[in-house]
Amino acid sequence: MINQDKWVASLPKNNNQFNEEINQLDPNKWVDTISKPNAFSSIKKYSLTAILFVCGLLLVSAIKNETRNLQKEINNLEASINVLNFNLDQGILDNEVITSPENISQLAKKFLDNDFAPYKKSQIRHLNDKEEIIISTNEKKDKNISKKMKLKIAKKIKEKKTEIKKLQELYSKPESIPGELKTQVAKKIEAKKIELKNLYSSPKDALLSTKAQKWVVVQVVKVFLGMPVVPGK
Amino acid sequence: MKNKKEKIIKKKSFYFEDYDESELTDSNKIYSIIKISLSRVTFLFLIFISVILIFSIKITYLSLSSEKNFYNNSPNKKFISERRNIIDRNGSVLATNVNLYDVGVRPQLLKQKDKKNLLIKLGILFPELNLNKIKKKLNKNDFFWIGKRLTPKAKDQFWLIGNKALVFEPKPSRIYPQKNLFSHILGQTDDINKGISGIEKFFDSQLNNKEKIELPLSLTLDSNLQHLIREELINAQLDFKNIGSGAILMDVENGEILSLISLPDYNLNQRILINDDIYSNKITLGVYELGSVFKTFTIAAGLENKVIKPNTIFKDLENSLTCDKYTISEHDKLPKNLSVEQILIRSSNIGAVRIAQKVGVEKYKDFLNSLGLLDTINFDLEEIGTPLSFRWGKCKLATTSYGHGITTTPLQLAKAYAILGNGGYKIKPSILKKEKKLDGQREQIISNKTSNAINLILRKVVSLNEGTANFADIEGYDVGGKTGTAVKYNSKAKLNTFVALFPSSRPKYVLLVMLDEPKPAPNFVYEFPPSEKFPNGYKYSGERRNTSGWNTVVVAGKIIEKIGPILAINNLQASNNF
Repeated sequence: MINQDKWVASLPKNNNQFNEEINQLDPNKWVDTISKPNAFSSIKKYSLTAILFVCGLLLVSAIKNETRNLQKEINNLEASINVLNFNLDQGILDNEVITSPENISQLAKKFLDNDFAPYKKSQIRHLNDKEEIIISTNEKKDKNISKKMKLKIAKKIKEKKTEIKKLQELYSKPESIPGELKTQVAKKIEAKKIELKNLYSSPKDALLSTKAQKWVVVQVVKVFLGMPVVPGK
Repeated sequence: MKNKKEKIIKKKSFYFEDYDESELTDSNKIYSIIKISLSRVTFLFLIFISVILIFSIKITYLSLSSEKNFYNNSPNKKFISERRNIIDRNGSVLATNVNLYDVGVRPQLLKQKDKKNLLIKLGILFPELNLNKIKKKLNKNDFFWIGKRLTPKAKDQFWLIGNKALVFEPKPSRIYPQKNLFSHILGQTDDINKGISGIEKFFDSQLNNKEKIELPLSLTLDSNLQHLIREELINAQLDFKNIGSGAILMDVENGEILSLISLPDYNLNQRILINDDIYSNKITLGVYELGSVFKTFTIAAGLENKVIKPNTIFKDLENSLTCDKYTISEHDKLPKNLSVEQILIRSSNIGAVRIAQKVGVEKYKDFLNSLGLLDTINFDLEEIGTPLSFRWGKCKLATTSYGHGITTTPLQLAKAYAILGNGGYKIKPSILKKEKKLDGQREQIISNKTSNAINLILRKVVSLNEGTANFADIEGYDVGGKTGTAVKYNSKAKLNTFVALFPSSRPKYVLLVMLDEPKPAPNFVYEFPPSEKFPNGYKYSGERRNTSGWNTVVVAGKIIEKIGPILAINNLQASNNF
């Protein structure tokens, strides 16, 4: 316990009265000296914090919302990508099945008339061999024609050649030919040349065509005379 | 005075005793209350801030993370391929994954009346289902699968029944678009997509490698060639009534296998249990006595060991020999004096024995070993056969010289021929396409001289009239090869083989064709190639023989005629030679 008397006596005694007055405690004065909490500034501070906090909350929810929307969009896009990927996988698989060699050969057998046989090397010729082929085919053609026919063809070729020669001789003296005949002679020479060419390239056909012409003439005459076209009828 | 004094004392006590002024105490209380509430707010604020921070971190993580499997429950979730695709050398898909469905039933969810309804609906929609079995299972009240590996369409049909007891389980499954074409090579997977045979088993870990899931496993095989060869083998089956057949086409330079077929085969997409041996892979697993095709090795051993030359003549060759219990005779009447070349061209057994005797047991054995004919081959498939071991002796040497009493797989035979054809360089047959090409440092087993001599003789086997393989003389492809006719153990049935190397001037491919138990084909029209006697060739039918020259060679010729253009197009080096 504190001994008050002891403490009171310990105070200095000179100018006691004055000191007492001086030291007279004014409680109000002292109370005022106690630092009061700055209520206004703290309210300001905390309300600011609260606003920030609320703003933060709002911001978080807004961001979250936005993120969710974005995620939804991403999800949808991913889903559509997956669907496309799946379809692509299916498409590739279908393509593999349809284009499998087995399927193609089956379809070829079903729908194509051609029998796809591989070429042998002998069936492929270089461009240089062209002349050789032409010559050899001519030789082959010649072989197929009988001797009788050969003689006929030779005769025909000779006839044509003499005809052309005569025409050419005529054409070599243009002053002796009237102007209007000049072109006709030239045309005739050209026609004879073509006939000769045909005789060389396919003598059998040329002969047959003349034969056919003869046959037609005979048939016409027969009809005119009232003879049966087919013998025996 | 006393009162005054007491007052002073009282006032002085302000310093040392509890402050007793109510006003001050109240404001302090308010202050402390505010302080407490503020600290709580701060605390809450901090919690919220930390929550915001956590969310922000999470959002940032999600946006930056490469993993995209956050929405696995999405109905349109990504189709995950659990195994890598398998493709051929042209990029055609040989094996891929599809999402199939297993449909199960939970009978405990159904009342008796519902069970009847379900049975009626199943009976209408799926007439192929065995309703009695399903009824029994429904009555047992245990879960059971009603359908497995169903397509999305079939699954939808089940789904449309709208029964709560039906359970659908998606399952990534393996599918093979080429069906039968590669059945012996690709193999199959089990219910949990684990390889159980063929490549699916051998390369299981590689096919399951999740890091390379987007990269397909590339094989050296060619679908087009495979199809053409298979088609010819099927046609041969119709002509020669053989019970099975096999063929292999290999690049002699690098051992890449372009085609490997074994018939009969099966559809890989139909999951059925096959136990019959006839369905085994004849090329890699089958171990056979292959007959005269071994004569080529005998002559090569003689040339390599310098005991003979191609023009060395063997005089007074007997018609038959007896060694211990074995009687060795010729298949046909042959001249008594034959050169080494003629021994191979005419396929003389006695001549081959004489050459082998000149080489000797040890050297001959070493030669066959160097070609890898006697040991198990290291190959990219699980189904590999092991040649039967035997004790070497003089008589064994005699029989092995013409390919009897010695067994190997057709794959090893093709490999040995490839080595003979490529200049004598060692190769490793492979089915997996390698990213790196050969570095140029190759091990040479046989000299170039021997290889060239053998190629020349093999060409004569095909091109000369007295040769045994005239039907394989396809114009433009310069085919060389050797026939082999073996009689099966304890049976009169034959196993015919023909190994072709083409183009002979510088072989690029080896083709082996094997027919199991071919029969004579008297109705088959054989077309002989042009010769001096018949410049336009001629047709012949009514043949009663069924040796290799009359069937396997014909089939090989047709195959070369068909695949030749593809090989020539795909390979410049080969096309230059053609």
